[in-house]
Formats: sequence, C-alpha cells, structure tokens
Amino acid sequence: MTDSSPVHAAKDLFVETSDGPRLLGSRCETCRAPYFPSSEACHNPDCDHSDIQPAHFGPHGTLWSVTVQNYPPPPPVVASDPYSPYAVGLVDLETDGLRVIGRLHVEDPASVKVGGPVELVLAPLGQGQDGHEVISWQFEPR
Amino acid sequence: MGEVAVLGIGMHPWGKFPKKNLNSICRVAVDAALADAGVNWKEVGAVAAASSRFSGGKGWGLNGNDIVEDMGSTGLPVYNLSAGCAAGANAFNVGHMMVASGAHDVVLVVGGEKMPKGFIQTSGLEDETDPEYLRQRCVGLPGPGFWALLTRQRMEEYGTSHEDLAAVAVKAHKVGTHNENARFRQLFSLEDVLNSNMVSDPLRLYEICPVSDGAAAVVLCSAEYARKKASNPVWAASSAVATARFDDGLPRGLGCVPSPGRTHHSEARISVAKALEAAEIGPKDLDFVELQDNTVYYELAFPEEWGMCEPGQSESLLHKGETLPNGSMPINPSGGFLCFGEATTAQGLFQICEVAWQLRGEAGERQVPGAKIGMAQSIGLGGNGTAAVLKR
Repeated sequence: MTDSSPVHAAKDLFVETSDGPRLLGSRCETCRAPYFPSSEACHNPDCDHSDIQPAHFGPHGTLWSVTVQNYPPPPPVVASDPYSPYAVGLVDLETDGLRVIGRLHVEDPASVKVGGPVELVLAPLGQGQDGHEVISWQFEPR
Repeated sequence: MGEVAVLGIGMHPWGKFPKKNLNSICRVAVDAALADAGVNWKEVGAVAAASSRFSGGKGWGLNGNDIVEDMGSTGLPVYNLSAGCAAGANAFNVGHMMVASGAHDVVLVVGGEKMPKGFIQTSGLEDETDPEYLRQRCVGLPGPGFWALLTRQRMEEYGTSHEDLAAVAVKAHKVGTHNENARFRQLFSLEDVLNSNMVSDPLRLYEICPVSDGAAAVVLCSAEYARKKASNPVWAASSAVATARFDDGLPRGLGCVPSPGRTHHSEARISVAKALEAAEIGPKDLDFVELQDNTVYYELAFPEEWGMCEPGQSESLLHKGETLPNGSMPINPSGGFLCFGEATTAQGLFQICEVAWQLRGEAGERQVPGAKIGMAQSIGLGGNGTAAVLKR
C-alpha cells in the first residue's frame, strides 16, 4: 500500500486555528508592512527600524483578478488527475494590506467573478508525484 | 557624459534552429553588426553581453566570454549581465555607460539564445526559500497565467473585450509579415486568433509569445569615433534601468503590499520615465515605440501607463489603426514579441536593431514614415526594467 496521507504543499505557510484557517506570515511593527511568506527583516525602504513579528492573515478578501489555467503545467505544480482546469486569483485581504495569490476552491472555475468576496480555506490541490495528497491554501468565493 | 552613437546593428533571424549551435547564431549577428558599423573586431574596446540561463555561457552565464573566444581573444574586458528577459537591454545600458563615460570608444553589445521547448518555467530551483518555486508548488501559475491575471483585471476595469485582445495580435502580424527577421510572419484574421486554443483564460495561444532562438548585436561608439565612420549616425539619446518598487501592485512571489491605484510594473514605468527625462522629451514626442509584448495586454496597458495616451484609450487607437506604422502612435513596427517569439536575453537588442533601422529609414514595408525618435523597452524576472531612447 502506498501512503497517500495528506501533506502540506510547503512548510510554515498556513495553519488551522480555532477561528479557521490563516496564512502564516509576519508584520513589521514599525511600519505595519505585512509579509507573506514571513520575512526576517522589513524590506520597506521608507521604514527605518525593522521590527518583525509573526502574524496571521485572512480569512476574508476581495478578488482583484482571476485566470483559468487551461492546460496542465509541469511539476512542481500539483493538479487533479485526470487534469481539469483550475482558477487562480489575486486576492486583496481585508484589513491586512496584503495582496496574495492563491488557487480558487470552486466547482466551476469559469463562474468566478472579479470583485467578489472570497474566504480562505485549506484544501487539496491534487496528488503529488510521490502519491501524497497535497494541501494548500485556497480561496473560496462567497 | 559624452554622446553615444549606435554605429552598427546586426541580427540572426528568430526561429527554431536545432542544427545550429549558439555560437554560430551569435556569430551571424556580431559579424553583421561589425560590418554595418565598418568596425574591425580588434577595434572593439569592451563587450557587454546578456547572460543566459538556458544556453551557452559555460553554464555560468558567461555568454560574452563565448563571443570573445569565438571572435578572437584580444584580452579585452567582458561584462556578462543578467536581468532575466531584460538582460539584452541591461547589457545595452552598461555598454552605453562605458561609452558615455569615456571608458571605451567602441563597445560591442550582444545577446543570443537557444531556448528549450515549451513555456518558460521561470525557476529551475526546488527550494522553499525561492518564491517562484513556492508559487508553482502551492498555487500553480506559469508565466501565461501571470499575464492573464493582468489582462482579466484590465477587462474588468476598462471593458476590454476578447475581440480587442485578438485585434492586437492581428495588427502585430499585419506588420510583422513584412519583417524578414521575424519567425511568425503569417497573417491572422480576428477569427483565427479567437479560435486559437485558450491557454490561460482570457489569453489564447496567438495572444502570447512562444520561445524562439535568435541573436542580435549592436556596436556603440563615441561621437568622435562616429564622425570618422558615419555621416549621419543614429544616437542613443538615453538608456535607463530600474527595478520594481516595494509598493508595486503585482506580486512577483506569493504576495505584495500595493499602494492605491495602478501601481503594477513600476520597473517599466520608472525606467521609461527616466529614459524620457534623460532624452529631454515627453511620452507624446515619441514617433514610435518597441515595447515588450509577451502578450497582447502589454500593447494596450503600457502606452497608457507611460502617458503616451489616456487610460482606457488604447483599444480605440488600435481599432482606428493609430498603432500601425503609419498611425499617430505606432507600436512595435517590428511585429514585436508576438511575431518574433522570445529568445529571452536577445530581446532587448532586437528592439534596438529595429529602432535603429526605423530611424535610418531602412524598415521597408513596415517603415514608420519620417521616424526621428523612438524608444525600446523591456522587463525581466526579478523586477528588472529598461528603456532606451534613440534618435537621429
């Protein structure tokens, strides 16, 4: 039997909290610049004192734009097998000041509307090359 | 700073050449540029070359060293410049500075590339500290998807239609068909483009540029040297390089911290503004521009973002024929990336060749009538942006 237990797409990028899923990043306490993934130092050229602290981002946002990936990209992209097109969006997270990219968790990718509300979820992208189901952050239209 | 002349230009046609090696492709471009300039190889004081991660360069991006060994090692200094798809133009900027500063009288700038098959995977790394790797592994967004996000956003904001997008490709091929150096010279109807495969919705196959092989070379020289060689040379009025700002609205990795408004591609906006300022002209003074059209979107968005026309105006200018060579705002009279395909690190130099041919009045059927001043613009991975203004 192959082990197909779920794995995270990458380490330390998202977490399930008692309030639901959140993106794991950081924020500079001096200039309030958010970082996803987390940064060790503040990169804002107008900030004169880097003070980075861990931060959670999400779950609510607005879809800035969307595309549907109509052909299967090569690894390390993980997708369903057999391939079915998926949607990728750029999301402006409410209150966080962060624009973030993510796959859209939706049955019909063509139905997604720019400008609409979305919510962070953790969901499988498909099966990775090693047979494990790969979990990542995604955005679900509301 | 001294004046800089574009004394010679040369190109190997763009295409796929599985039987040719990179050196032989580059050699054609370099020989043509030297002959065009009337310059002997031994007169070249320095080489600025685009570094490739795909071909040649001993696997270290030492593509300029390959050129020098091929042409004959005279002991001259070589600068290998890496800036993703902006590398050729970045090398042009360094060559320009070397001549303008008086460090060298004659500099050869060169970029050549043999590309692997398929769409460019912008990162070869499998490293969780590499944002490009994370973007593919955790989300799955190849290059065309990145362009598609920008395109869809424009469609929402300005009402750009699928037909508008397709019309850009139709126009590109209408011009590029006259360019013997272009790879895709067939004419397309609107239906041809609209019926081509959807790649990354809303972008179709004929609306994005594939990869190609090709090489281009430019000989730059001082004003004093130019006077000895040419009666009426093309001048590089300015050359500028920039990188993306912290508050750019386009995530190059997983996220970004955008300022309000249309802040994306700040590297392009900044380099163009710097190049125009240094040439002491405004955006509407340009007779034409060669801009980086990896996809039809850029031909609509960039002229507006740089002040060549008003926001949301590009579609109507396109449909009125104003972006054709004989229009009021000619864009990519070469046929652009859509007709050439992308030999990544050579792109910025094919643009310089085209601008110089136009200014000399040697562009044949695709000639911009009376062109006196033109601009070349490119962008590359890492948030690199370049622009150069040439005039005669």
